[in-house]
Amino acid sequence: MSLLVCETVTKRFGALAAVEGLSFEVAPGQVLGIGGPNGAGKTTLFDVVSGLQPVTSGRVVLDGIDITKATADRICHLGLARTFQLNAGFDSMSGRENVQVAAYFGRRNRLFPGLRLGREAIRCTEEALELVGMRERAETPVEGAPVLDRKLLMIAGALVTDPKILLMDEPVGGLTASEIDEVESVVARVVREKQLTVVLIEHVMRFLMRLSDRVMIMHHGAKLFEGLPREVSEDPEVIEVYLGKSAKARKDSWFGEKTVAKTQT
Amino acid sequence: MLSGVARDILIAFLFLAVFATLPFVLDGRYYTGQIVTIFFYAVVASQWNLVFGVAGIFSLAQMALFAFGAYATAMLGFYLDWSVWAAMPLAGLTTVLVSILIGLACLRLTGAYVALLTLSIAQVVYFLIVTDTDCFVMEGVRCRQFTGGAVGFSQFGDLGTRKAFRGDWLTANYFIVLALLIVSMLFTYVIVKSPMGLAFRALRDNPGYAISRGIGRFKYQLLVFGLSAFFTGIAGGLWASHFRAIGPNLLSLSLMLFVLATMVVGGVGRFWGPLVGAILLVGADEVMREFGEYRTLGLGLILAVFVVAMPQGIVGLLKAGAACLRRRLKETAG
Repeated sequence: MSLLVCETVTKRFGALAAVEGLSFEVAPGQVLGIGGPNGAGKTTLFDVVSGLQPVTSGRVVLDGIDITKATADRICHLGLARTFQLNAGFDSMSGRENVQVAAYFGRRNRLFPGLRLGREAIRCTEEALELVGMRERAETPVEGAPVLDRKLLMIAGALVTDPKILLMDEPVGGLTASEIDEVESVVARVVREKQLTVVLIEHVMRFLMRLSDRVMIMHHGAKLFEGLPREVSEDPEVIEVYLGKSAKARKDSWFGEKTVAKTQT
Repeated sequence: MLSGVARDILIAFLFLAVFATLPFVLDGRYYTGQIVTIFFYAVVASQWNLVFGVAGIFSLAQMALFAFGAYATAMLGFYLDWSVWAAMPLAGLTTVLVSILIGLACLRLTGAYVALLTLSIAQVVYFLIVTDTDCFVMEGVRCRQFTGGAVGFSQFGDLGTRKAFRGDWLTANYFIVLALLIVSMLFTYVIVKSPMGLAFRALRDNPGYAISRGIGRFKYQLLVFGLSAFFTGIAGGLWASHFRAIGPNLLSLSLMLFVLATMVVGGVGRFWGPLVGAILLVGADEVMREFGEYRTLGLGLILAVFVVAMPQGIVGLLKAGAACLRRRLKETAG
């Protein structure tokens, strides 16, 4: 059974359909990479699935539970955590507090919040900080922290909510090459150690290809391609969307396919 | 280096030592009375700070809650002959209910719209009381409105200190209000340091991110509305009992702006901000008293200077200064 199922999910802003009739499934333990040009509706898809934006039509099911109309905090308690493209953080708090608050409130609904964090939340926080390699730098305030630290803290904050599935929106966007490698090893470790199901959006193809079991490319709010990572760069429609018609024609001519004449007309 | 909690305890003891000796060294009741008003403003501002500073909700309803507590205490005493000591806790609890109702009405809004709605609620209550002319009871030939109308209430009882301590009643009241200040500031300290405090700050810093980490905005913002109301209501009741008379001026715009200013001058969201701000502003008000009408102008100027030049307030400025000094020392040492 699939852990996450999206059935003809549509999100409209007025006349604009940011996501249109998109269906896909994610099996437990799988890493699905989502790519696509800017404005393809990738982040909107995450907003809709994680409950920050209401769905216009369609259905989202998490582990057998319909979460189409659930609020974002409830979806978090049900086991779906996400990170953000913008470097979201609680600026006035330390890195450790950023993770602690998620550990305390993210696991279940606190009917009557207590006065202390409790051993469990503290233990999970330290474990997650260790896992992303932020334990040494956890006391500095998040305001003014480097982009890499904020990204790692966001991942730690998502992990402490004990998710069944993790949605990552551009985990390496805006990072340098060596930083990308660092995040990659963290994500790979998380996937391996926690057996976590992951959906990640990324423009950095190297990152996307190496981590994903399956790749989906979105364009104009719809699915353009879905398949194995190595098939992506072979797909004529993906090449056309990313690099334009002439690039596709050149590739076709180089590899001696018969479609050259068709694209030239 | 001191940890945060150790530093706060040290500051608390310094303040306490000063406040405990002041009534015995000051001559004349006037200054003791002024310090009592500082305490009152500090209590209200510290609770307001939970909503406004810590949770980042721009509510202007706090003085209306304060007035509600005062009116509840006065009316229970006046109509039902309750002792103010029995009336104050009930006033505190009902103020919590009122605050939650206001929260329910406001929290579908965000930002400046919350300020607009809460301000209009406070102003509507003010005008409803002032324009109330229906007689509720007749006192001889005088007609009394249920809400006290423009006149308000008096002779509803007091703290009993005048009877018990005679000439020293003001000193007794001083320590009762100081006790409320201590308890209410301890209350905010515990709340801010608890997971709830983290949740409130998380919702202030980044609502979308906070909700995605399981912190329901509506629930926790409603919670902070309720929590901040209890001691505000009690403070209102104690104000009524201390001054033995109240009127609709508790809801006036100028008093609200004064208490808001104490929070801004002290430092919004800072634990010591409201107390420091209340001391400074009541002190400044005292100095400017001689200038008559220019006094309000002076207060406005102080507020403007702080908003523009020192948005972190005095406490924020001191903290930044201390951090800078520590860095310097480290550099010279290293």
